[in-house]
Amino acid sequence: MTPSEKTATMAHATRVPWLTLRRKEAFEAWLFVSPTLIGFIIFFLGPLIAVGLYSLTEWNLLSQESTFVGVENFRDALTVNPDFWLVVRNSALFALGLVPMNMALALTLALALSRPFFGVVFFRTIFFAPVITSAVAWAIVWKFLLQGEAGAVNQLLASIGIDGPNWLREPDWAMFAVIVTRVIKMVGLNMILYIAALQAIPRDYEQAAQLEGASRWQIFHMVIWPLLAPTTLIIMVITTIGSFKVFDHIYLMTGGGPENGTLVLAYYIYQQGFEFFNVGYASALAIIMFVIVLALTIVQLILRQKGSG
Amino acid sequence: MTSLALSNLAKSFGPVKVIRDIDLTIEDGEFVVFVGPSGCGKSTLLRMIAGLEDITSGDLMIGERRMNEVSASKRGVAMVFQSYALYPHLTVRRNMGFGLKVRKMPATDIKQRVDDASATLKLDALMDRYPRELSGGQRQRVAIGRAIVGNPDVFLFDEPLSNLDAELRVHMRAEISALHGRLGNTMIYVTHDQIEAMTLADRIVVLRDGRIEQVGTPRELYARPANVFVAQFIGSPKMNVCAAGSLATQLEGVDFDLKAATQIGIRPEHLKIVPPDDGLLQGRVIVSEYTGAGSLLHIEVEGAGTFLVVQEGQAGAEKGERIGLSFSSENMHLFDGSDFAI
Repeated sequence: MTPSEKTATMAHATRVPWLTLRRKEAFEAWLFVSPTLIGFIIFFLGPLIAVGLYSLTEWNLLSQESTFVGVENFRDALTVNPDFWLVVRNSALFALGLVPMNMALALTLALALSRPFFGVVFFRTIFFAPVITSAVAWAIVWKFLLQGEAGAVNQLLASIGIDGPNWLREPDWAMFAVIVTRVIKMVGLNMILYIAALQAIPRDYEQAAQLEGASRWQIFHMVIWPLLAPTTLIIMVITTIGSFKVFDHIYLMTGGGPENGTLVLAYYIYQQGFEFFNVGYASALAIIMFVIVLALTIVQLILRQKGSG
Repeated sequence: MTSLALSNLAKSFGPVKVIRDIDLTIEDGEFVVFVGPSGCGKSTLLRMIAGLEDITSGDLMIGERRMNEVSASKRGVAMVFQSYALYPHLTVRRNMGFGLKVRKMPATDIKQRVDDASATLKLDALMDRYPRELSGGQRQRVAIGRAIVGNPDVFLFDEPLSNLDAELRVHMRAEISALHGRLGNTMIYVTHDQIEAMTLADRIVVLRDGRIEQVGTPRELYARPANVFVAQFIGSPKMNVCAAGSLATQLEGVDFDLKAATQIGIRPEHLKIVPPDDGLLQGRVIVSEYTGAGSLLHIEVEGAGTFLVVQEGQAGAEKGERIGLSFSSENMHLFDGSDFAI
């Protein structure tokens, strides 16, 4: 090999190949995320774009006629249709009733069940079981229990001299009844989250406070509660979002009644889209609900960032 | 006057006895170290004194008062935890003032006490920081500061230096010792590190399997260990102990009074390397570890097993080299068949 050939070979050897380590890693990374990404595009982004387009049309599913109407559906919902604000009010009422009740009960149960004692697993299971119970079965059972005079709840109340209302048929009580039954069904999930958070707090903090003379209440509100703040924030936002999205519970227990007293946003969208076949209007409502849920998620992120900062 | 008296103190977790019949008196202002291997019950004993663990039987007196049923906050003790247990959501100032705040002390008094403690521990520049913004040594000092502000009768330390690196540990050891000198309170300190115990303690309590093996000053424990366990636990490297019979041939003709000893102990630093023919014992170097100031030699002595020897200076014996070992009879420790010192 001549010196010039040698130089040429060395130059060839040091040339950077197209498939660099960086590109290889990037390719592998895309390969790993692709199943999720494809699923996201097909099942979330695609429908979201479709709903966005539908919301700009007047499209009746029965007549199969679709007309572009711009933001008319949004204007209709926000300024013309009185039902919309009733539905928003009901959704807010549902959230305002459910979230504090759910969180307070979840925290109370978690405080009672976070430490080991005989039978603790049994009690945790009892309170968590409704979460994994079929929503249909749950609703049917509670509809029976909450029937007028024949319902077990009212019979129980009658035994102590209280004349119970017809829970699911009276506008003043229906919302309360669906909130309470929803809380009982879902509280186990938040209880588990709180138990995990409580168990992650080192016992040294509590014992140090105990040695310094703090009472049980002082230990809770000066040490434990602040340390639970990140979990509380997450639970609060998740539960609020969940309460705005509630559908099955309302559908199965009250059908939005009585007198639209429990007609909430998700169920109203279903009604407009699949009972009245106003796909365009239902899509506009879905977009509005998406914005509300997105706003709550952004609030969560901001609060979490502030909290960790 | 804050002395402590532990009488027949015992603790069981179900059928498992973890602390057995502890009898111990700790004088006012004394620095006592509980030392022992993992699982010996030293931390449990400390927590029993603190009131964080129930006492199964026996009596605990702090000063003139029986404390068995007294709650932790009313025992006049403060504890520095192994994890420091600093509240992560509070600044250094609020961490230190926490105990005073829950006891409803006026804010001006809290500030005064916290400022005094921070000056003592040189924490002034750190008062508005959160624990996550502090180094290990700084957290340690804050934990001690939190204990100081309560002005307790007795300080309890549960392995407070175990999370620090070696250099910082030496530094903090000196700080704790100096603090004891300044405050003069009774201090009880738990560690598994015998060097920490030797350097800090007025008296050391050696524990094994929930029992006291020996109580004494560091010098007493080093010079006159009560049994083989203490002899090997105190001192580093640990004492060489071998069956007396295994040295009988090699020590034949030497005027040593072995009494009725069945085991003989010699500390590594008391063995001297000599030419093979001049030694009381002969052996071969199987490992030579250079330690900077000298070497730690592992020497196989025929019939008696491996002996550790500290050789000072730079001229360390080489691996495989045949050497002699000599020692003075006064540095020999004799033990009977039950491991007790004779």
